[in-house]
Amino acid sequence: MRRFLRMSYLAAAVGGIGFFVMSVLLLGVWPGRALDEQIRQTTPPHPLALSASEQRGRTVYAREGCAYCHTQQIRYLKRDVDRFGKATLAWETIFDYPHLWGTRRIGPDLSRESSVRSEDWQLSHLYAPRSLVRDSVMPDFPWLFDGAPDRPRQEVRDLLAYLETLGRDRELAGPEGEAHAKAAHDLSADEKEFAFGTGPLNASAAMPRRKGKYPALAISQDLRRGEELYARDCASCHGARGAGDGPGASGLRPRPANFTEHEYALDRASQVLWNGVAGTAMAGWRDLPSADLSAIAAVVRGFHAGQAEPQLPTDVLELGGRVYAEHCVQCHGDTGAGDGSAADQFPVAPANFQTARPSIAASLRVLRNGVEGTPMAPWSEKLSEGELSAVAYFVRGFYR
Amino acid sequence: MIAIQLREKASQVESRLVYWHGIAAIVTLFISILFGLLASIEMAAPGSIGTAAWLSWGRLRYDHTQGIMLGWLANAFFAFLYHAVPLLSGRPVTSVRLGQWLFGLWNFAIVLPGWVLVLAGFSQPLEWAEFPLAIDAFVVIALLLAVIQFLPPFFARGLEDLYVSSWYVIGGLVFTLLAYPMGNFVPELVPGARGAAFSGLWIHDAVGLFVTPLALAVIYYVIPAATGRPIYSHFLSMLGFWLLFFLYPLNGTHHYVFSVIPMSAQIGAILASSLLGVDVIIVVANLLLSARGSGWFSRDLGLRFVVTSTWLYLIVSLQGSLQAQMSINRSVHFTDWVVGHSHLAMLGFASFAAAGGIIHVWQRIPGARFNAKLVNHAYWLLLAGVLMMVVDLTIAGLVEARAWQSGAPWMDSVRAAGPYWSIRMWSFIPIGGGFGSLLAGLLTGERELRAA
Repeated sequence: MRRFLRMSYLAAAVGGIGFFVMSVLLLGVWPGRALDEQIRQTTPPHPLALSASEQRGRTVYAREGCAYCHTQQIRYLKRDVDRFGKATLAWETIFDYPHLWGTRRIGPDLSRESSVRSEDWQLSHLYAPRSLVRDSVMPDFPWLFDGAPDRPRQEVRDLLAYLETLGRDRELAGPEGEAHAKAAHDLSADEKEFAFGTGPLNASAAMPRRKGKYPALAISQDLRRGEELYARDCASCHGARGAGDGPGASGLRPRPANFTEHEYALDRASQVLWNGVAGTAMAGWRDLPSADLSAIAAVVRGFHAGQAEPQLPTDVLELGGRVYAEHCVQCHGDTGAGDGSAADQFPVAPANFQTARPSIAASLRVLRNGVEGTPMAPWSEKLSEGELSAVAYFVRGFYR
Repeated sequence: MIAIQLREKASQVESRLVYWHGIAAIVTLFISILFGLLASIEMAAPGSIGTAAWLSWGRLRYDHTQGIMLGWLANAFFAFLYHAVPLLSGRPVTSVRLGQWLFGLWNFAIVLPGWVLVLAGFSQPLEWAEFPLAIDAFVVIALLLAVIQFLPPFFARGLEDLYVSSWYVIGGLVFTLLAYPMGNFVPELVPGARGAAFSGLWIHDAVGLFVTPLALAVIYYVIPAATGRPIYSHFLSMLGFWLLFFLYPLNGTHHYVFSVIPMSAQIGAILASSLLGVDVIIVVANLLLSARGSGWFSRDLGLRFVVTSTWLYLIVSLQGSLQAQMSINRSVHFTDWVVGHSHLAMLGFASFAAAGGIIHVWQRIPGARFNAKLVNHAYWLLLAGVLMMVVDLTIAGLVEARAWQSGAPWMDSVRAAGPYWSIRMWSFIPIGGGFGSLLAGLLTGERELRAA
């Protein structure tokens, strides 16, 4: 035995080769077979492979080291699932050559990034992250653009296309696919909940929702806290003084709301802070405590400088009403709630005048120019100056 | 118990190759540190060093770790091997010409172009495997050359009493020759979760079966050589070696605990990680008992470095066993705790061993200079630097874990980590100063006349 142990060949053969083969078989090949079997049983009928553009985007993602700050693997742990959504299943990773799981999370996990953010937000954020998220440590990627966030090169378009694939197949699996995978999986009750549970409210807290319940925020007196949070989380886009002119505003379509020229109902602030605004860069902020949201709402509503109500003759008001009934009601609704018969077909909901009252100047600007990034068209060629003013005045009457 | 058999055949040591690899080690070390420093500045003060593509965090991060492993540590180990292999085996290495090829290939076909390609945007997003595939092909060739260069002297002699350092050299080089292509090529061919299982293996193999065996070979060599006494227990040496080579490769999946990789593989890896702690206690006890009473701290600087490395090895390994446990892993995984752990391993344990090895062999190169005072300063600065960084990142990891657990907005964890990232950046001062002092210590001072 002693003689046997002395052989240098033994170190090479057993230590170098034998234990290598053992480890590959035990921790590589054998779990791989189990995963193969699981994938075979649980993959939905038609998972989407990556398109050429998405694949190129994946290469950019790999090249720039995105995976070294953003994991793509939601663990079977409550803390992961609560924050990022359903735990990652094996079949979701079948197109990942090589995998991009990562071992460090400096930024959030991106497994379910698809449709969490709008395209303009993503591009502006990639161009200059701190123009949108003040305290971010993410690098800027200006070489993917031609000098401005709204002038993306093909590489960053590809990258964006790739980001939109993250979690896409899981969404497309639908209830049938989920039920099928759930039945086929050999998991503990806890693990099943992590992998297939409906998910808590705050997973993808930023993802805007078109509709959805939201808590009514209280009136807050804590302006100091509100201002601190506003400067931290809101000013990047909406500007330090609420004029919609923050450093991140230039790449966003539609532009961030200008708080100085709108009067907001508390209900509107509650809804938008909770749900975000679908179709725009406005994220939900559901992961903030509601006292903080109330404080922000107080600051946002306070930017509006009280304007004297212009006194206009009744016939102007009547003219405005007629124009509104003829041209605006289909989208903005009978009662100005933005719920006209055509409203649901638009990517961005029409303005709701009941909960946000624009100044005359703001309305006139919108009527003359339209709103880039929304279906709101310019009306200056179809309506006279008088009609424009009249309707701008008229819509203010909807506010409650 | 077997006494280390040092043969007084200085003529067989390829001093020039020792010198070249020693210099290459330190030059690549400084470049790798520069990558790390720039990356740390970008986290502490984002946007402060410009927005050029090649200076972006992701690319610097890739080059930092690849440079530390393939530039600094590999060159330092090669320098050591050119000194130690002839003395351990009683035979010269295979060929000086081969050594020149290996040196050139390693530094000018792997490290240098690897760095440049990564900065230019050609890389692979896999941990400890960031150099692009074209470079990986050269690494495999070079590792094969290293096996051909260093192993035949051991095989040819068929020594009765092969010293434990030799075992680590043989096992480490053969294992790495096989594991490197597995870690670099398989995840490109096997997707997603299945590929990640292989990545997990390589993440651990790179540190556990390449860096660790060679670092231990240095430590096992330098302690008896510098103290003039045999190793405490050859039996413990053997036990430690076999347990290490059995257990280290089975650790891989502990990088993906709570993932979709089958739970039995995860639990097996966690079990192996726990047992590994036991093995390291055996190895370290054997080493420390060998150094005990030798006046290791003041007797010899190389000896001081390797014994300190042994202590750091104990700490980092026990930490590793601890953080593999599910109860700990669920909190600290993905945080800076782990970044602290890897710096304790690579900057602490491995770099102290590599530096100790270089210091030891340097004093035995005829005509090389050595300034003990500066090397002494290097020791203190490096020890202060590694402690500063590791303690800082460990606390940062706990702070991040707490922020994540709380359900607060993600950015709260980034804000909370900010001050710790600044401290990590400033730890460059003692670390850079320490390695600068080491370099100066190797280039100034009296010319050494003694030879091994």
